Amino acid sequence: MAAIGSAVGLGNVWRFPYVCYESGGGAFLIPYFVALFTAGIPLMILELSVGHWARSSPPEAFKKIGKKWEWAGWWTVLVPFIVASYYVVVMAWCFSYMIYSLDLRWGSNAEIFFKSFLGDTGSPLTLGGISIPALLGLVVIWLLIFLILYKGVGRIGKVVAITVPLPTILLIILTIRGLTLPGAIEGISYYLTPNFSRLLDVNVWLAAYAQVFFSLSLAQGIMITYASFLKKKSDITNNAIIISLADAGTSFLAGFTVFSVVGYLSMSQGISITDLGTRIAGPNLTFITYPTAISLLPVAATFFGMIFYIALLTFGIDSAFSMIEPISSSLHGKWKMSKAKATAIMCTLGFFASLIFVTGGGLHWLDIVDHFVANFGLVMIGLVEALILGWMYKLSKLREHANKTSEVSIGRWWDFLIKFVIPIILFLLLAIAIVNNITDPYLGYPWWVIVLGGILPCLVIFLLSFVLMKIKRRGEVA
Amino acid sequence: MGLSLSAIGMLIFGSVVLYGGLAYFLYRALKSMKK
Repeated sequence: MAAIGSAVGLGNVWRFPYVCYESGGGAFLIPYFVALFTAGIPLMILELSVGHWARSSPPEAFKKIGKKWEWAGWWTVLVPFIVASYYVVVMAWCFSYMIYSLDLRWGSNAEIFFKSFLGDTGSPLTLGGISIPALLGLVVIWLLIFLILYKGVGRIGKVVAITVPLPTILLIILTIRGLTLPGAIEGISYYLTPNFSRLLDVNVWLAAYAQVFFSLSLAQGIMITYASFLKKKSDITNNAIIISLADAGTSFLAGFTVFSVVGYLSMSQGISITDLGTRIAGPNLTFITYPTAISLLPVAATFFGMIFYIALLTFGIDSAFSMIEPISSSLHGKWKMSKAKATAIMCTLGFFASLIFVTGGGLHWLDIVDHFVANFGLVMIGLVEALILGWMYKLSKLREHANKTSEVSIGRWWDFLIKFVIPIILFLLLAIAIVNNITDPYLGYPWWVIVLGGILPCLVIFLLSFVLMKIKRRGEVA
Repeated sequence: MGLSLSAIGMLIFGSVVLYGGLAYFLYRALKSMKK
């Protein structure tokens, strides 16, 4: 349940529907399913097997694979910590918007409201002041994460029993409402009508692999950490398939929620869906397009506004605390630090790291850090993880371990996917990202902004992973 | 404007794979838990 909660997050709502629409509509489902079955589920089985076999945090697990690989474990837990530092900020915005939806405070021009809510300076070069509503939201969310995690796994179990089904139910309610609005079917038509010619475009296939990879919370040490808490007899393969299908199923459902409302907005305002472009994705969708559509609802706009942001908050909270759990478990595991102390340290550090994203230039820094951490940090970790586990360790041992507890057995084809297919795909994703960023610097930002916000955080956490490996616990002999 | 036949086809395809698959594996998980 916690792993489903971790995988299903804001990205399912604001990323998948747009990627699907942009990449051939319904035809995108074909590469998406191929990516899910050839990379997503096999990697999920791999991470669950490692965690379940090692029964320890990622650094300890990689140390059991080979002493010299402990750094890779630290690397996998440091990246989600960086992601959490800005992911929590988006949740803080959702928290503020949940309150704003009581009186639909964004009014008729949600775009201007969002910019003034953030105190947006329009450039990362000018930080401006701190957005107080966002700061208050930030305090609430970090405090919530601390309260959920500091007592250990028991409390996580109780929280996810609510935060996993609740947002799905809310999403279904929003979808039903969306589908009954005028123009909804036209929106759905944009989402689902297949353009099979796009399947000949290699970028569509890479987009499918990237979507699967980012959505399933892979290469972040999360699944390894959660699997270490599973019972010894837990069915690994079945769990991996259920987590992956639940995540993909939520994304598919979210497409109906988003496009029904987009169709309504398009009809109400006389704007073509094609012209809405990137306003159907990311923060633009959540804080500009969707609130605008909510304001136009003939009845119960406040109610639907509230449940939209509660759904996002509950979708996001499991993902947010799952990004902190691996690093606090790792600190607890290596230095025998109490769970409460490790969680308090990481939440405090996370809070201070988040502060830059609630400044007037924060939206731009968030965008830059996210772009680089996702496209380089996560992909590189996935690649290193597949190479270490596939080539530096006897992969068949992990396969046998998974098969020992699983009803559905995996064969040698799984070894082939982990050793060859997944590294090649991840390498391609990485190479394309590098070429694109060299030929066309991200959004035309100055090079030093890209170095500071993109390259430096990736480099620092990479080096820090070696430092953390080298620091010995008290009494440990080198 | 209604949904085209190809869009309905993709809707069924997506639903069967995702929700059918999820229901099937949840059923298997529940069955093995009962054992």
